[in-house]
Amino acid sequence: MRTLLLTGIFVVVLPIGCAPLPDGPFDTDEAGPTNVNTRLIVESVQISGQGSAKLSDPLRSELGEFAGKNFDQPLLERLADRIKKELHAPEVRMHVVKGDIPDHVIVNFEIGVEREKRFDLDLARFLYHSKQGWSGQGHATVNIHENAFSFGMVSDGDRLSERYAGIQAGFERRHVFMDRLQLRFDFSSYHEQWNQTTLLDAAPGDIYRTRTQFSPTATVVILEPLVVSFGVDFARYRLSLPVAKTESSNAVVSTLRYHQRWGSAGDEGEHDIRASYSVRAGTQILESDPVFTRHETQARYRFRRGHQDLSIGFLAGKISGLAPLFERFVLGNAETLRGWNKFDLDPLGASRVVHGSIDYVYRGFLVFYDTGAVWDRPADREQKQSLGLGCKKSGFQLAVAFPVRAGIVSPVFYAGMNF
Amino acid sequence: MRIRTIKPWWVIAAFLSGLAFAMFAEELILSTHESRLEFAAPRVHFLVGKPLERLRNASEVPFVFKITLWSGTRTHILREVPARFVVSYDLWEEKFSVTKLVTPRRTARHLTDNAAEAWCLQEMSQDVTGVSATEPLWARLEIRAEDSRESGVPFGRGNITDSGINLTSLIEIFSRPAATTQPHWQIETGPVTLDELRRGRRRG
Repeated sequence: MRTLLLTGIFVVVLPIGCAPLPDGPFDTDEAGPTNVNTRLIVESVQISGQGSAKLSDPLRSELGEFAGKNFDQPLLERLADRIKKELHAPEVRMHVVKGDIPDHVIVNFEIGVEREKRFDLDLARFLYHSKQGWSGQGHATVNIHENAFSFGMVSDGDRLSERYAGIQAGFERRHVFMDRLQLRFDFSSYHEQWNQTTLLDAAPGDIYRTRTQFSPTATVVILEPLVVSFGVDFARYRLSLPVAKTESSNAVVSTLRYHQRWGSAGDEGEHDIRASYSVRAGTQILESDPVFTRHETQARYRFRRGHQDLSIGFLAGKISGLAPLFERFVLGNAETLRGWNKFDLDPLGASRVVHGSIDYVYRGFLVFYDTGAVWDRPADREQKQSLGLGCKKSGFQLAVAFPVRAGIVSPVFYAGMNF
Repeated sequence: MRIRTIKPWWVIAAFLSGLAFAMFAEELILSTHESRLEFAAPRVHFLVGKPLERLRNASEVPFVFKITLWSGTRTHILREVPARFVVSYDLWEEKFSVTKLVTPRRTARHLTDNAAEAWCLQEMSQDVTGVSATEPLWARLEIRAEDSRESGVPFGRGNITDSGINLTSLIEIFSRPAATTQPHWQIETGPVTLDELRRGRRRG
């Protein structure tokens, strides 16, 4: 009944939510440009300021293409936005001055110096899932001379087989001796809540009531698109046994990340590839109670052109040994096998996972297809599929997803941002 | 009994200060032309400061004008008329161009700053057919420069990043008073009747 109600709300809300946002603050019609400078020709486009040398070749060549064309303020402002986004610059100002040739102008994009925000608040994740309920995560960060101190709160019932709620604190030093090295220390303390299905399936020693983690990591930029992080993760969790017992899961962690982007969303299309491989090894050298090795690889390719946005994702993982539940793989949430309930697929999570997804967005309207499997023994491996539709705009997502299976159609509704 | 006399220099000082106030006060001048009520505000300059800075950087700057007319009593609003103008400044000609966003559009080009301002006000004239010639009228002119970009939009692109909604930016937007983000001007005049205006009497 609740699902039907939510689907009804979804059907009403979807067309409203997906309505395209206006591009500009004022109307324009076919009667021609309102800016008299559109008659002027761009003599040259320059870029100056800190980090301008890091601008990608495609964007730089796109800047050059403006030379010889009529001055187009909205187009140049969009270009300034893209420079800002690409260079992660706090501000990109556009200065237009008379050129050397009559009726020509020179456009200069000046990259503003990063003003360190002393205090920052971020709502990093917010989600409502009709099966898992609410999840949210927010952070406050204080920056002092390239040192970032953050404090946050989280309640997440979506990502793992448990709902974990608690606090997160962190310290980050962005440049240590050189630009290529950064250090991070993360601390978190959670209280766990478990679904009844998980409690029924789990062994008494699997379930824990609280979990505390401390994780110092270093990140090194090897070559510009290739980044490696390494460190350790110390986790202590109190088991829900009649006799209180605390166990430790101490692992060596290492992650290799690759991120490359090329092209332009305007004309030929923008390509974006992100890939990562991470390994976590719980070892007795660090006095870990569970001894395990967890491999996970993720990749996502994204292609954007005009109003179209195509995204193809892949995830695979394997755990050997006996890992605690928070390390196990989960499918059937707001990011994977959307439409399925994680507690129906594997309430304890699994030691093996393969997942693929295709998302296509046109003018904010989203359709997607997910497929994947989680299993512990090869005999349990069963491929599941799901389909969904919704809308996606500026980080917000509203969708209804259906598991592909015979029998009862039980859609899952979810809405939120940044998940 | 002592008779108190007013010293002549007090009279002169009062006259001069009144004259100075009249000269420097922002004023809305009403006049009639046939059945239309026209507005002029020679001392109000909105092509100045930040908007002018943006114009001289080849940007166009939208302005919202609003005329409010009261008739009979100050509580009876006869008419509220908003209009939008987009001003731009030709970098080579060093002249202004103004477009009134109505259908069909009306545009005036090659204007000086004063002429551009006057043209906008001229475009705000109102038909007062049906308004009694002896009825007192009050008028208010409001001018507001709009941000050309979406910096003020709470869920604009700049406020949503890969790491989520930046609450600091949103707090900044909502805590900023409108006066600091949007240059604006407001002047009023009245009461005045159409008869008085037709007889050539103008009030500031």
